[in-house]
Amino acid sequence: MPERETIYEVLQKRGVTRRDFLKMTILLTGALGLEYSQVERVRVALETKPRVPVIWLEFQDCAGCTESISRSQNPTLTSLVLNDLTIEYHETLMAAAGFQAEGAKEAAMEQYYGEYVLVVEGSIPQGAGGVYCTVGGRTALDILRETAEGAFAVIAVGNCASFGGLPKASPNPTDAVGVMELVTDKPVINIPGCPAIPEAMTNTIAHIIALGSIPELDYLKRPMAFYSHTIHDRCLRRGFYEAGLFADSFGDEGYRKGYCLYKLGCKGPTTYNACSSLKWNGGTSFPVESGHPCLGCSEPNFWDNGGFYQGQSAPLQRPEVSVVGIAAGAGVVLGAGAAALNASAKKKAREQAKAASHQKEEEKEE
Amino acid sequence: MNPSDLMRLARGPLFYFALLFFIAGMLYRLTRVVGFGWKKDLTKPKKSKIAGSLLAFVKSVIIWPFIPRVEGSLKRNLVAYFAGGLFHLALFLVVFLGAAHMLVWKSLLGFGWPTLPLPVVDWLAAAGIVALLVLFINRLVNPVLRTISHAAEYLNLLFVFLPMLTGFFLTHHLLLPYEAMFALHVLSVDWLLIWIPLSRISHFVFYFFSKAIYGAEFARRGAQP
Amino acid sequence: MATMSVTEQALNTYVRETGGWIASQLEACTRCGMCAEACHFYVATGNPEYTPIWKVELVRRAYEQRFTLIGKIKQALGFEKPVTDEDLRHWAELDYYACTMCNRCSMVCPMGIQLADLIHEARAGLFEAGLIPSDLKAALDKQIEEGSPLGADDETFDDRLEWIEDDWDVEFPMDKEGADVLLVFSSIEIMKFPDNLAAIAKILDAGGVNWTLSKEGREVTNFGLYAGSDELEMLIADRVIRAAKRLGVKRVVVSECGHAYDALRFRAANLRGEKLPFEVVHITQVIGELVESGRIKLKAGAFENGKVTFHDACKIQRRGGDFEQPREVLKILAGDRFVEMTPNREEAWCCGGGGGVIAIQDADEVRRAAFTIKIDQINAAGATTVAMTCSNCRLQFLDCVDHFNLNWNVTGLAQMVADALVEEG
Repeated sequence: MPERETIYEVLQKRGVTRRDFLKMTILLTGALGLEYSQVERVRVALETKPRVPVIWLEFQDCAGCTESISRSQNPTLTSLVLNDLTIEYHETLMAAAGFQAEGAKEAAMEQYYGEYVLVVEGSIPQGAGGVYCTVGGRTALDILRETAEGAFAVIAVGNCASFGGLPKASPNPTDAVGVMELVTDKPVINIPGCPAIPEAMTNTIAHIIALGSIPELDYLKRPMAFYSHTIHDRCLRRGFYEAGLFADSFGDEGYRKGYCLYKLGCKGPTTYNACSSLKWNGGTSFPVESGHPCLGCSEPNFWDNGGFYQGQSAPLQRPEVSVVGIAAGAGVVLGAGAAALNASAKKKAREQAKAASHQKEEEKEE
Repeated sequence: MNPSDLMRLARGPLFYFALLFFIAGMLYRLTRVVGFGWKKDLTKPKKSKIAGSLLAFVKSVIIWPFIPRVEGSLKRNLVAYFAGGLFHLALFLVVFLGAAHMLVWKSLLGFGWPTLPLPVVDWLAAAGIVALLVLFINRLVNPVLRTISHAAEYLNLLFVFLPMLTGFFLTHHLLLPYEAMFALHVLSVDWLLIWIPLSRISHFVFYFFSKAIYGAEFARRGAQP
Repeated sequence: MATMSVTEQALNTYVRETGGWIASQLEACTRCGMCAEACHFYVATGNPEYTPIWKVELVRRAYEQRFTLIGKIKQALGFEKPVTDEDLRHWAELDYYACTMCNRCSMVCPMGIQLADLIHEARAGLFEAGLIPSDLKAALDKQIEEGSPLGADDETFDDRLEWIEDDWDVEFPMDKEGADVLLVFSSIEIMKFPDNLAAIAKILDAGGVNWTLSKEGREVTNFGLYAGSDELEMLIADRVIRAAKRLGVKRVVVSECGHAYDALRFRAANLRGEKLPFEVVHITQVIGELVESGRIKLKAGAFENGKVTFHDACKIQRRGGDFEQPREVLKILAGDRFVEMTPNREEAWCCGGGGGVIAIQDADEVRRAAFTIKIDQINAAGATTVAMTCSNCRLQFLDCVDHFNLNWNVTGLAQMVADALVEEG
């Protein structure tokens, strides 16, 4: 086995100077949410750790997360992840195609067995043996199982890969699921969102390849660095919420004044993501700022968590009038049945009383 | 089961079931009671019984049932009037005029209404919780209430207390993560919806019966309801 | 056929008597306990068992255990105690000794539950179980057999009337054909307040009322109502109703007796299941009408000694509606000397002797304790004369005035009116 290059060596080959490398180290330390004192740790890691490749698989997806990461506004980090660290396989981005591309993937899987990072975009259909999504004649289910086997960790980007996303929306015709339902013997990191925030993706990938460790995760396996606060927690319209000032419909006075969008169905209070702090497009804005309620796209089942414009507190299903009618009818019928039983109990009691008084009279006569 | 799943379960199928159970249960109970039948009154009423019932409603429903009308009864029932009144006032205002609650009604009924500012709802909720605690303590220490209370009375207080407490914790992000508390809040409401038809909390329905009877009875006898 | 146990007989009664009227009110109770503070027996003694709704406990248990699914489940799980013979004996004391069925508690109840009627229901079951207190039972038997609980049988009744006619110089027309009005007395008046009989006769004569008494329906007192037996209540009320029908009167005037008025005016038609072909009014209303229409004239300021107050009787005022007539009369007779107790009218405190309580010797202690509220009220009003329109209240007042050594003058309204009649030339 040939001596493997370290990340620093890869960068040197690409013409990165020592000075630029050190700058990059500082930048990366910050991006990983580490303290300045940790710069040294990151530098040592980059200089000594062999480069690990990333394999990026797409299943039931729209490539939206790929779009998102490719538009990241942090070029250094993006180029680090996308170019310098070699994504060995990415259907949307790679130049190669067909058997050649598959061959490259298999070679990487073999060479870096147990070390490579697997990124999955899109959900995996299980229905009908998985035939609803195939690549090169093989089912997504199959490919995932095989690729995950030798991976160091699996990163599920986007809501589809994390929790099943849109394909899993009721009635879920393809029986789609997220990665963590299938991969249980490997660390799985979810970076949900529709799409995921680019910085959340790049930073998490960088964290793993640079430090070789899994970042701290919440109970849904989301990195705490990006998912420890709700949209509501850091929302710029929060003050209006507290004051009870709401927009009641799109375009009304409250809406024009920039009041809280809670009554328009904003899911901010129960949605954990970094939109309201990192924002999008280089910190330009995020949906609530732009005037649309949060859809809750970083939460499981976000398509089925009530309508997008229905209150966040509202029940998920509203019983149909006919169902209510059946329940009401059942109540009345059962109640009438109970009333009939009670009426017969009353009748029996009357008869008993009559018999008893009759008996008393007879006794008296005797 | 994680908080997110629990929340979905509580807001989804459990709420759905609880709501239908509530509707069926209340109608069951109503039908059962009405099914006992009413005897026709053959005596000559002194005043109009219908007017008497309406007057009783006006006095007790529209104006406020907790206005003491009998001399000295306020002084003798301070806790019941103040804690009981405050509890009911807070409960109704929070349940109908809290923004989050209004959205629940809106999703069920199809229309909404203006709501109170959060701080107001918050103070009302706090007042309601304190009032309920006072009522609970009163039930524990007052000899009359101790005598006439059964297990069900304490459970009623507990099951009403739970949604109020979890709702308050929820808005203040206390104790548990928001969605976990949210799940508990909705779960406790689901249970309350099931419990109401099984308990005396259903007095809000039979209240109208007893008040109508009260008004009719006093009018029939020529007195002021 | 197997005989029913005592408990079974009581529960059986509750089962057959429970209609929507009772059920909906039982369902409405939240057990807030406010009724206790309206009850003179509780307030005077502080015994929490005297809480009005607690006196209905047997009816509630019977209702929940026999009619409701939850009650049955609760009973199976041991949360609901089944009713025992012991319970019945215990509640017999609560319901017969410590309730006058004045319904003051209903005024305070946030749900407006008619507690007096529910407690009457509780008594019904206890009566069927044979747990009516022995002295009340004796009086009831006497009324059924002799026509009067206080022993005014045919002969005694005639003797008393004769004596009154002679001593008070009045005439009592008996079973007079073509009379408009049948006057019926309570046994208390016949046996203890003969002056009341005379006074009422004088008032009716002065007002030019065409009235009569009836031998058959001479007594309106109804111990069947006290006992809680609809059957016997009906039997007793029927005596008056038959007489009134036979005589074809338009009106039956009930003299100064509360429960008798309640039984005949507000209950009899429903118990019989038919409307009564005549009007039932209380003498208070008659006096009011006569005074208002000017058919009798009263000497203004006839009352001269100290201050007079009016005691509202539960069945005639709170549950009978005749609030204003006695007050109008007293204002004429006493002017500024007429003072009100607080609270009064619908909210008045009960005398403590109604509902048959005064007939039960074992209840003497609690009955007199309840009266202490009245003492405070009247002293606060500064009155030394107390007028009322119920002989049962009057009996309680007299007993307690004696017991507590009070220096009060206790009188009936009719008597005050009769004494102040102005003869017209």
